[in-house]
Amino acid sequence: MKQFIKSKQLKIILMLLVIIAGIVMIAVKGFNFDLKYQDTQRVELYLKTEFNISDIRQITNEVFGNQKVMIQKVEVFEDSVSITTTSISEEQKNNLITKINEKYGTELKAEDTTVEDIAHTRGRDIIKPYIVPFVIAVIVVLIYLAIRYYKLSIAKVIAKSVGIMILAQILLFSVIAITRIPIGRLTIPMVILVYLLTLFGITNMFEKNLSKKNLEEKKDKSKKK
Amino acid sequence: MKKIKIITMIVLIILITMVSFFGVYTQVQNRMENQVKEYALDMDLDGARYVRLSVNKESTDVIKDANGNEVETEEEMTDEQLAENGYTKESVPNNSEDVLTLENYEKSKQIIGERLESQGVGEYEISVDSETGDILVQIPENQNTDNFVSNMNTVGKFEMIDADTKDVLMDNQDIKLVNVMYGSNSSTSSGTTVYLNIEFNKEGSKKLAEISKTYVESTDTTSEDTNTTADNTTNTENTATDNTTTEENTTDNTNTTETDTTEDSTEKTTKEITLKIDDQEIMTTSFDEPIENGKLQLSMGSATTDTKTLQDNIRQTSAMASVLDSGNLPIQYDITSNEYILSDVTNTHIAYLAIAVGMILFIGFIILIVRYKVNGLLSAIAFIGLISLYLLVIRYTNVSVSIQGIVGIIVTIVLNYIFINKLLSSIKKSEDSKKLENVKEGIKESYKAFFIKLIPICISVIVFCFINWTTISSFGMVMFWGIVLIALYNYLITATMLKVKAEK
Repeated sequence: MKQFIKSKQLKIILMLLVIIAGIVMIAVKGFNFDLKYQDTQRVELYLKTEFNISDIRQITNEVFGNQKVMIQKVEVFEDSVSITTTSISEEQKNNLITKINEKYGTELKAEDTTVEDIAHTRGRDIIKPYIVPFVIAVIVVLIYLAIRYYKLSIAKVIAKSVGIMILAQILLFSVIAITRIPIGRLTIPMVILVYLLTLFGITNMFEKNLSKKNLEEKKDKSKKK
Repeated sequence: MKKIKIITMIVLIILITMVSFFGVYTQVQNRMENQVKEYALDMDLDGARYVRLSVNKESTDVIKDANGNEVETEEEMTDEQLAENGYTKESVPNNSEDVLTLENYEKSKQIIGERLESQGVGEYEISVDSETGDILVQIPENQNTDNFVSNMNTVGKFEMIDADTKDVLMDNQDIKLVNVMYGSNSSTSSGTTVYLNIEFNKEGSKKLAEISKTYVESTDTTSEDTNTTADNTTNTENTATDNTTTEENTTDNTNTTETDTTEDSTEKTTKEITLKIDDQEIMTTSFDEPIENGKLQLSMGSATTDTKTLQDNIRQTSAMASVLDSGNLPIQYDITSNEYILSDVTNTHIAYLAIAVGMILFIGFIILIVRYKVNGLLSAIAFIGLISLYLLVIRYTNVSVSIQGIVGIIVTIVLNYIFINKLLSSIKKSEDSKKLENVKEGIKESYKAFFIKLIPICISVIVFCFINWTTISSFGMVMFWGIVLIALYNYLITATMLKVKAEK
């Protein structure tokens, strides 16, 4: 029993540490947003021929070094390339065009190529469409849990469920902040995954508690008899 | 006989797997074409239409009279004509400095988002450059994309003006909501008419009631003739004043007035309103009766029985409704770039993911076989069949696969593994796992224990299915079909195989 309490305490301390570290990291450095959700610059080049992204990647690695780069094919003929990165200097643009001309035999000119500024998508805009579905889903699930496990006290069931769900998401975002995992297209799937795991865990826990309770009730009844 | 049953099931599974993973090819003209439906992919996987809206920096020439009031002329006036009339020509920027604020940029972004949502765009991304005001919109590429794009930079300015004086009687601020209605007139059976239904707010309703009492077609006789004459006089005066620029016009109008007066005095008494959307006249009309309910229904196009024409009318009216309903853009924008850019998530990425999942599954199957021997092997074979069937179901139920959807597929696979493991473990736990009764009991027990824990997940999945946002509904639909298949397929195939084997 002592060991169980100790391990429970240890878990709580660990979780608190992760959350505090996460909050500190968010306050100091904020989240690390994926390139898709950052202020970026984009250049589009018409190559006149189909190309391999890996070949372009090789060129961008040489030109942009450690900068994050997103390479996309443009339009149905896939003969133009869109290169997006955090920033493109004049020198980088010239270098990129020279290398592309060498590789694909094109006659692109730096002065004819414009660098387009792309404003970032705000974090709240990414999350916004998911708020209502999650709120509805959680409310319906809580109603179900309250009915199914009413023997375990409705208030306790709801409080525990909400608490665990919120704690799990806070933990997830703390881990994301600490590990500097970029906030991007995989963030929402991670949130959904954690939500499902939490639901599975909560139901498992309540099922066990309910069976225990039912067993105790049976014992009490048999004792009375 | 029992052996044949198992072999038949395995052959069926192999067949489904072949169809799902390799397809069914038939010759179409000179090439072989896969007849199995392709996956419907969302914006993250399929690419998107990138539309850049830039703040309009052009100016428009405006003619003003001596009092500084704007003068509307259909023809372009020469400098001499302007001087003659005491008019001045000014170059006015389409977007004044006052409107180019961060607040208006944000409002424009919000309005564009609302327009896309009201037109049923299930997924979009909008970013706004706080310095230049440029807006970048990403929407899915499909047959309706061009329509959505064309409505993006429509200002959406609604005006109800006096047809004669051009005074603005009502504008966007009076609108509560705008939607599409359609109905057929059974008495005439001329087909279905599409209506643009404009509902006005409290203030607007009052104005509309007032306007509909004033702008009526008068058909009465003698007693009202006096008024008619008065009105006529006013109209004539207006006409004369407005058209003093050219003698010809004045003469024409005077002639018309005279003719009208003698031929039909009723027509001349009609006070009409003109409805304008984005400064374009939609219609000029008068009211037959006062409108007290604050609703105005405008028929769009003529009644039709042709489905295509009707759909076109509905589409155009919906676009107009969404533009008006979302309010007018405070800034005039131009579409400066409009192109389809493919996703940076390529087939190679998906292939790597599929290989990784396949390898993990392979290890999982080995564990099942080692732990549960023949039962494990049969379940692993059935498992492959489930994945194959699942991928076919996703394709044929038109589920749009997103990254969330892929996560849904992986979660379903994991859930099925947990279920199979539970099923085999329950059978193994029984005293004699080869006894049919024990197998049946094990199946029943594992179904009950597993699905009762899955109910909250099922609830969430069903809620997600009904959400009008592609990525979340994609996850919901993928998971929904996954859970349905886990329940049905395992009952019909996996459990049957295990039962047949136990009978053996």
